[in-house]
Amino acid sequence: MIEGQEIIDFHGHVGPWDVYGMYDDDSAMVKAMDAVGIDRSCLFNIFHPDGTSGNDQTAAFVARHPDRFVGFAYVSPLMPERIEKELGRAIDELGCVAIKIYPPYSTWKMTDPVWDPVYAFADDRGLALISHTGPEETCQPEQVGIVAARFPNANFVVGHAGNMEPFRTQAIEAAQANKNVYLETCSTFREPGVVERLVTEAGADRVVFGSDVPLMDPRSQLGKIITAGISDDAKRLVLGENAKRLLGMNYSQ
Amino acid sequence: MSNLSFTSRVPAFDANVGVGHRNNRRYPFDEPLQLVEEMARHGVDQALVYACHGETISPMYGNEALERWTGGENGLVPQYMVGADPESLRQIQGLHASGLVTHVRLHCTEMSRTPFVDWIYAPVLEWLVAEDLPLWVSMADTPPTEIVDTLTGYPDLRVVIVGAHYAHSVMVLPMLRVLPNATLELSRYENTQGIEQLVEAVGANRLIYGSFFPRYAMGPILYMLNHLSIDDSDLAAICAGNVEKLIEGSVTDDK
Repeated sequence: MIEGQEIIDFHGHVGPWDVYGMYDDDSAMVKAMDAVGIDRSCLFNIFHPDGTSGNDQTAAFVARHPDRFVGFAYVSPLMPERIEKELGRAIDELGCVAIKIYPPYSTWKMTDPVWDPVYAFADDRGLALISHTGPEETCQPEQVGIVAARFPNANFVVGHAGNMEPFRTQAIEAAQANKNVYLETCSTFREPGVVERLVTEAGADRVVFGSDVPLMDPRSQLGKIITAGISDDAKRLVLGENAKRLLGMNYSQ
Repeated sequence: MSNLSFTSRVPAFDANVGVGHRNNRRYPFDEPLQLVEEMARHGVDQALVYACHGETISPMYGNEALERWTGGENGLVPQYMVGADPESLRQIQGLHASGLVTHVRLHCTEMSRTPFVDWIYAPVLEWLVAEDLPLWVSMADTPPTEIVDTLTGYPDLRVVIVGAHYAHSVMVLPMLRVLPNATLELSRYENTQGIEQLVEAVGANRLIYGSFFPRYAMGPILYMLNHLSIDDSDLAAICAGNVEKLIEGSVTDDK
């Protein structure tokens, strides 16, 4: 908590990624969170196309610190026959509260109908869905704008807010055009003025803090928000209030 | 404890700040005072500043343009840049003869498609060793293999490796071990608990704070450093003490 504000990190990972020296060490993650007042981190495992393997690992990881971690369900169109059943299992049995997709691990753009069962599930349940976005052809933010308009009851979170230009502008435009599009902040591309621009152009109520923990330290990514030239009220929205709203009734303190 | 606002609790000397427009990138500020105000907002007292123009087009022109930024008593310390051209080295040697050079930055070799190899850069490296001047080399702009392969031939050269990224995580420690006179600048080193692990492995005296402004915003890494699980003495060394020693000519101790 920071000055009475609950802090929620909307973007984190489970599963080793040791080609990058990334290890999901829960005690190291909690230690980094504690150092800066992050109350909860939303986590997902994107490395297994069956969904089940990764979601089971996520659930087990979250169970080590259930008051600090929140699990998101992951599915992949590489195994479309598993999508609906696995989402149901992850949400209803494993306690996941939202959905994560990672289109670069497939060959389909987010606008391809192969993804529709995921969106329909989120739309039906009123869930948040976060996707990696960036320059990759499968997940450029303008695709989020197209999809979000078709599924108005789901909330689409643009992971990394497009990462770099021109995709950051695409992300902002998607948020401006669709009330159910939010921009998430974790990115290694942290030029001066990025956070300020997201807040100014999309609205402070439409930006959520994320860190990519443990790939990136939550302390530097939180520092992007704290040191940004935005108001304290905007910081509160970005750091926690928007995430609480997105996580809705399935989220409990 | 964290607050919604931040300034560094120890003196901060940013070892990696670019100034001025680049051919392909507009600089956020028009005047030095604006940069100094941005530094002050985060609690940064001083910065080593290099000309962004020199990264991609002309280190020589960039060095001349630096004076507009560093001419006053504003905490901006010039960091002159050297390229592969012999004229570039001659310019640096002339500046050094005038007492202006405490260290040198290598230009962005990849952007000019000039490999960082001994058979091109030997005159520069030999001169730096002879004058005991440290060299800043950007891992964002020169391949790590070239950095290590070339600099292992100059074991007495003090070098600052700038811009190691989380994607370099598995190579940073081996690099620091084979380059015992290397210091790591931390502007992009964001893997979780990565800096604490480096403090443990090689010692705080081989790490320095830099922001890599304007490629990156000035505050986030300084914020992270101020929230690391390290002693305040180590924090002070990383944030300012180590870079001051480097440019004043002291040799860092190995761990």
